[in-house]
Amino acid sequence: MTDEEVMRNVKSGSVKMLAVLFERYHVKLYNYFLRLTGNKGLGEDLTQEVFLRILKYRDTFRYESKFTTWMYQIGRNVHIDYLRKYKNEMPLEEKWEEEISADTQPEQKTLEEQDMMFLHKALSQLTPAKKEVLVLSRFQGMKYQEISQLLGCSLSTVKVQVHRAIKDLRKTYLSLKGGIT
Amino acid sequence: MNKNCQDFQDQFPDYLTGDLDAKAVESIRDHVTTCANCRSELEELTGTWTQLGILSEEQPGPNLRKNFYTMLESYQQELESSPLKKFFDFFKIKDIGEKLWPRRPIFQLAAVMVFLIMGFTIGYFMRLYNQNTREIARLHQENQSFRQQLTVSLLNQSSPSQRLKGLMWSRQLENPADETLETLLYTLNHDPNVNVRLTAVDALYLFSDHPQVKQGLIESLQKQNSPLVQIALIDLLVEMREKKAIKSLKQLLEKNKLNPEVKARAQLSLELL
Repeated sequence: MTDEEVMRNVKSGSVKMLAVLFERYHVKLYNYFLRLTGNKGLGEDLTQEVFLRILKYRDTFRYESKFTTWMYQIGRNVHIDYLRKYKNEMPLEEKWEEEISADTQPEQKTLEEQDMMFLHKALSQLTPAKKEVLVLSRFQGMKYQEISQLLGCSLSTVKVQVHRAIKDLRKTYLSLKGGIT
Repeated sequence: MNKNCQDFQDQFPDYLTGDLDAKAVESIRDHVTTCANCRSELEELTGTWTQLGILSEEQPGPNLRKNFYTMLESYQQELESSPLKKFFDFFKIKDIGEKLWPRRPIFQLAAVMVFLIMGFTIGYFMRLYNQNTREIARLHQENQSFRQQLTVSLLNQSSPSQRLKGLMWSRQLENPADETLETLLYTLNHDPNVNVRLTAVDALYLFSDHPQVKQGLIESLQKQNSPLVQIALIDLLVEMREKKAIKSLKQLLEKNKLNPEVKARAQLSLELL
């Protein structure tokens, strides 16, 4: 059964069918929020919120777009609402750092663990717009076409953003790595 | 070189995701073997792109799944258990409510403040209204008490016209005190002026439902000398359908020197009663 067929069921009243979509996408969504916010608890809360909104606004789903595009649209709104609500709180990027480096010191980590830490940090230092396109294309497996639809911008803009995001990320990553060794 | 470097670099993002056809891929590979600048650019991109792969997907905690199913369950129950909600949903009344309720917290706060102020205002006016009602009741009571005092005081005056005025005032009493009634009865029985006594009969008629007054009127029949007053009293007792007055009327008829008119009226009354 395709996502859209499942949604048809959910819309016509068998809301329990949403469990199918939850099982398909909750890990993906969780990682999406985790990479955007760098906070595990928050990632779970926002994921939960997305599914609640899917239920609440199920009638607004039209079959013209893919379910995942619609889902990520909701996900983006959930994230934006969260940022608006808590814009005065401590920046989340710093939480990443704390969470990642809390267990061990960089020297005690394996090389791969160190790389991961630097990549996480470099990712968190990207501008929100670049981070978003990179996360969507690299980790969420979305096509550039879908991303342009989701963000409401041109296809070429998405590609340029991805290109620049990778270059910025690499620059930060190398400077972080150079600072340690 | 068929294309310039910028054209090739524009295709790099698609190269990363493997969305180019074989011909385009080959063309890029050909180009980078000869262009060092594009080669290093492509190597950097693919290197970082591949490296990001070590950031594997993380698994959420078990609470996420648990909370989701709890939410789904309660949502389902809510849907089933509330026919009223279904009704509102049908007419989209719920949506209207959601639209009316502001989304931004600052406006929500404003709405709450407005309701709060409305509540206080209504409360304030209610209190004011209650206060006014109490005030009016108090003034009314004061007014009544003043009238009673005035009545009693006027009835004790030496001038008959003043005493008559007192009787007029007594008509405006709603709930006269026992003492006031006592004074009225005393005037009826003992006032030297016939006109005053006659007016007293009328005045007492208004309070004839008081047992004290009833008794006083019956007893007064024996005490009066003036035929005018006697006739007025007899008429009053008949009008009150006061059965207890029969005995008093009989006693009156036994009196010598009773005015014939009074006698006739008393006999008629006895029959009526």
